[in-house]
Amino acid sequence: MDKILRINMSAAGGPTQSTEKAGEFAALGGRATTSTIVGNEVPPDCHPLSADNKLVIAPGMLSGTAAAISGRISVGCKSPLTGGIKESNAGGQAAQVLARLGYAAVIIEGIPEGDDLYKIHINKDRVEISVDNSNKLLDNYPLIEKLQKEYGDKVAYMSIGSAGERLMASASIACTDPELRPTRHCGRGGVGAVMGSKKIKVIILDDAGCKNRPPQDAERFKTANRAFVEGIRKHPVSGEGLPAYGTNVLTNVLNEAGGYPTNNFKTGQFEGGTKISGESLAELEISRGGKATHGCHRGCVIQCSGIYNDKDGKYLTKQPEYETVWSHGGHCGISDLDTIATLDYWDDNVGVDTIEMGVAIGVAMDGGLLEFGDGVGAINLLRDEVAKGTPLGRILGGGAGMTGKAFGVTRVPVVKNQALPAYDPRTVQGIGVTYATSTQGADHTAGYAVATNILKVGGDVDPLKPEGQIELSRNLQIATTAIDSTGLCLFIAFPILDQPETFQSMLDLLGGFYGIEMTGDDVAALGQKVLTLERKFNKDAGFGPEDDRLPSFFQTEKLPPHNLTFGVTDEELDQLYNWD
Amino acid sequence: MAEKQSLRVVAPLEQLSAFFLLLQQGVWLQAQIGCSVASLLTEQFNIEEKYIVERITTMFLDFKPIDDLETTYVKDGSTLALSSAMPGLVGTTMRRGSHLAAMRGEISYQNQQQVVSGAGRIKIKLFNMVMTELGARFLAHGVCLTNGELDTLLSEMDDSFWQSIEFASVDDQQVDYTSLVNRVRTGITDEEILLKVEFTS
Ligand code: SF4
Repeated sequence: MDKILRINMSAAGGPTQSTEKAGEFAALGGRATTSTIVGNEVPPDCHPLSADNKLVIAPGMLSGTAAAISGRISVGCKSPLTGGIKESNAGGQAAQVLARLGYAAVIIEGIPEGDDLYKIHINKDRVEISVDNSNKLLDNYPLIEKLQKEYGDKVAYMSIGSAGERLMASASIACTDPELRPTRHCGRGGVGAVMGSKKIKVIILDDAGCKNRPPQDAERFKTANRAFVEGIRKHPVSGEGLPAYGTNVLTNVLNEAGGYPTNNFKTGQFEGGTKISGESLAELEISRGGKATHGCHRGCVIQCSGIYNDKDGKYLTKQPEYETVWSHGGHCGISDLDTIATLDYWDDNVGVDTIEMGVAIGVAMDGGLLEFGDGVGAINLLRDEVAKGTPLGRILGGGAGMTGKAFGVTRVPVVKNQALPAYDPRTVQGIGVTYATSTQGADHTAGYAVATNILKVGGDVDPLKPEGQIELSRNLQIATTAIDSTGLCLFIAFPILDQPETFQSMLDLLGGFYGIEMTGDDVAALGQKVLTLERKFNKDAGFGPEDDRLPSFFQTEKLPPHNLTFGVTDEELDQLYNWD
Repeated sequence: MAEKQSLRVVAPLEQLSAFFLLLQQGVWLQAQIGCSVASLLTEQFNIEEKYIVERITTMFLDFKPIDDLETTYVKDGSTLALSSAMPGLVGTTMRRGSHLAAMRGEISYQNQQQVVSGAGRIKIKLFNMVMTELGARFLAHGVCLTNGELDTLLSEMDDSFWQSIEFASVDDQQVDYTSLVNRVRTGITDEEILLKVEFTS
């Protein structure tokens, strides 16, 4: 990854391209790369859909190598949803292919004049930016089917559906999986709308003739990779639970803990939870000839995904993730897996974030648009309103915050205007700290259960003191930011959390590849550096302490069955970034 | 009090999945209550300590995550949910003795007081791998279902279950599917029956 591709869509006479040396970015990746470039090059006060915003696409530090499970791709920009910096990442094939092509980043800037819609084709010999208006307003599934006739099935596609073209703030960028289905999405924060604003429908990545990136120390890298895979396979979460049931294995446990937000965060338990659990989902998938175990990209050794077939055994969608099952399920009072899978298909097809869209529908239900539990009504909203770009569809596609305003709802679960995911912060107060203070808006992946204990941070927290929650969240956010830069899937968190030797093998993978020594301190330093940059961008964009807050109903409305409110004070939240 | 009717079913192990929804929703078991969770699982349900330590790493008693099995006591009418290790920040947080337990401090089980001992019943919920590994054991122990719950279970089972079962009896009298359904539907909805399922491999 020794070069950066820069595309200027504003250039007079049509888009131009240039290639520059990757410099400091040759040994960086993912979120570290996107946030650094956005921080350095995008004016924080620009309009996210203006020519001043840039879309930065970066594979992870280990993408395109033989390292297991290293296929995350990051997309960065100023977010049209939050108004702050955004890094949104996804699996699929794109990261591996882009990295093998040698690009540390693709930076897309400017906005072309006129209404033409472009596609970008990148292979080892050239980059071609061309007008193709025949793709206009095609949604992701038909688009990819059409493009396959032209570019074949040995490439990876990154595309937007109609929601991205319509500049909806919940629009995603789809990345194709190994079967060339547009099922993996850089979902959060409206990155698809930024791509749409630049009039780019699709990027076709073709690595024919390219090889895996070679490590500096092949033997060390190979040994580390073997140990890393072994560690992943022997851990009960990454070796058994996730492959068998996917992330939706969490439904029963969250429901049991009373932390499963139900009917727009009114209660913490959903009566229909067992019907939509990971266990029930896997059973149904297998009985219909689908799959409960499937990788979103080649080289994934966990395979937390699956294939969901309809009643007739025909492919409907990929296995919906826990957050999707929740946002369309318990959050909306819907307990039917076929309805949830259909909504997941439409999210992927239109190209919207499943969390943002599900939460928006639930907020609209709270505002009286539909009854909670109305699955048919929910499908109609997505298929007949959002997908068609009607005024109501554009409100929903604008996200949960916009929907709440349109329907006069006071219980709107957003932070920095981004919808909260599937864990109620009144039950698990620590995650509320992360939701409130993350640079990204409410995000469950912003402070993942990364090995803070091994990094020797967060281990001695006093559970009786609120500063314990702050310290834990701080350290989790730092560690997660670093992992988001490696290209490794976050689900490696469990073996590296519990097995120090697997944590070491991850450091050795990085060290063997780049020919350096890496320590836990280096990982933490990288995370802190990136967070500092992101925080500065947000400050310059106008964010202040008042934006690092949960909506006030979390402090005033008790959540059954534990009847708790969120107890971390504003002063305590303001201690999170204690280094800047 | 009259003895409950007893429904005995002998079925091949591959039919265990027919009970998965029921096991997730929870089944009532007769047990000696007032003991610790550790003693309930090891002494009454014969689950090996090693299995508990290594596999049942997430447990909830009455919707609260448990950290110490020796000092957490089971009351009459308690609900005990058993799960293996979970992904995600919150999944990890819920784990027994998690170093992130501070994040769910307010919902953790903290009642250390001894409770009344004697005969009683508890609801057991089984999730994920624990469900596939221990489901057969709890069903063989015998679970109490109302006629209404049994009716729901029977109507959700597909034909293949009844075609594959080796034997079914109510109070030692052999029954077929149709007569069982009739019996259940004509019975009092809230009346309980003890279901024991023996799985053959
Ligand atoms: S574990 Fe799941 S999300 Fe991660 S790379 Fe594999 S399939 Fe994709």
